[in-house]
Amino acid sequence: MMVAAVPTRGERLRYWFSLAALAIVLPAAILVNSWDNLSEWRSRNRHIPLAVERGATQRYAGAQWQLTSLTRLPEGPTGTIPIVAEFETVVDDPELLGKGPCVVVLTDDRGRRWQPTFLPARAVRQARPEAVDKPRCGAFPNAEKGRTIKMAATFTVPGSATGLALSVTMAGARPEYLVFR
Amino acid sequence: MSSIVRSFVAVAITAAALYGLQHTTPGYGEITSPIAVAGKLGKRVAANAFTIGVANVHLARTVTTKRVGRTQTFTSSGVWVLVEGAAEARSESLTLMSAQWLGPNGVRYALSQRLSSVPGILPSERLEPGLPRPVLMAFEIPEGQVSGGTLLIARTAWSSLEEEVRIEMTDVRPDDIKPALVLARSEGAVPWTLRSE
Repeated sequence: MMVAAVPTRGERLRYWFSLAALAIVLPAAILVNSWDNLSEWRSRNRHIPLAVERGATQRYAGAQWQLTSLTRLPEGPTGTIPIVAEFETVVDDPELLGKGPCVVVLTDDRGRRWQPTFLPARAVRQARPEAVDKPRCGAFPNAEKGRTIKMAATFTVPGSATGLALSVTMAGARPEYLVFR
Repeated sequence: MSSIVRSFVAVAITAAALYGLQHTTPGYGEITSPIAVAGKLGKRVAANAFTIGVANVHLARTVTTKRVGRTQTFTSSGVWVLVEGAAEARSESLTLMSAQWLGPNGVRYALSQRLSSVPGILPSERLEPGLPRPVLMAFEIPEGQVSGGTLLIARTAWSSLEEEVRIEMTDVRPDDIKPALVLARSEGAVPWTLRSE
């Protein structure tokens, strides 16, 4: 007849210690494995706004940025209001500026976000023809130091939109982005 | 109870639990399937990213489109379903790229590519916050799929865990199929007009 060996005090302690250690080791292993994904997710969701007052310039993504005008045109027949944003940048570091495309968004005080329209409305072409001819904010592959790049974007917003601000994000300069108030 | 019986019971319980887990674990497709937002015909449905309402549903054997200097008639071996509604983005500009007609037998019909260039068609309309826009959807479906259909609208057809508005098409019956519909461009607030012939 076989008799089971009675565990010693040391064996019992090791058993319970191992079991308790699992509660720490398992979450730690999961955390270590997903650290890269967590870091990437955190950096993608991090936003640092650089607020710029009207008429002021701000250094950002290797250039000096300035909002030259944010024009609210008269309300259209369907209650829409065209907004024309004209801005410019003086290139300081062409390599840094050329690192990523530019994303422009118009926001209001309720947190709503409007992307630029594909084609400027007829009212914009009539009221601000010079803005229609300006390029959009996109990539800057041929930027030269000291050169001024003038850009424009048009938006369509409802009459209820107040506290409009233009936000400019360069992919190479994230998480920072410009907010022209 | 002897230790053998106890062991046997423990193994049996574990096997039953594992069997249960195996047969009730949702698949990857189910875990990442769209998040349904239910709505009704004639009512505005609010998802987190957009709102949409369906006002009218027209059924026809043929659709004739009228554009400047060009008239085209589209016949079908099934039925044309033209859905008129209005949509609006809630917090940021977006485009609703996917609308599907879910038939009563579970088959999904995507928007007809034959009418993809008519004014106001859903995937061509950029929706802006605070600015409701009239939108049009056109499907070609078998006659048997008309009754008991559901309209599914989402930002894209393939993205995981996206919201999908599901509007039951109650009171849409094959008895209402018209012989022909004429779809013409309009300069008004609604960029099209629809009339039956």
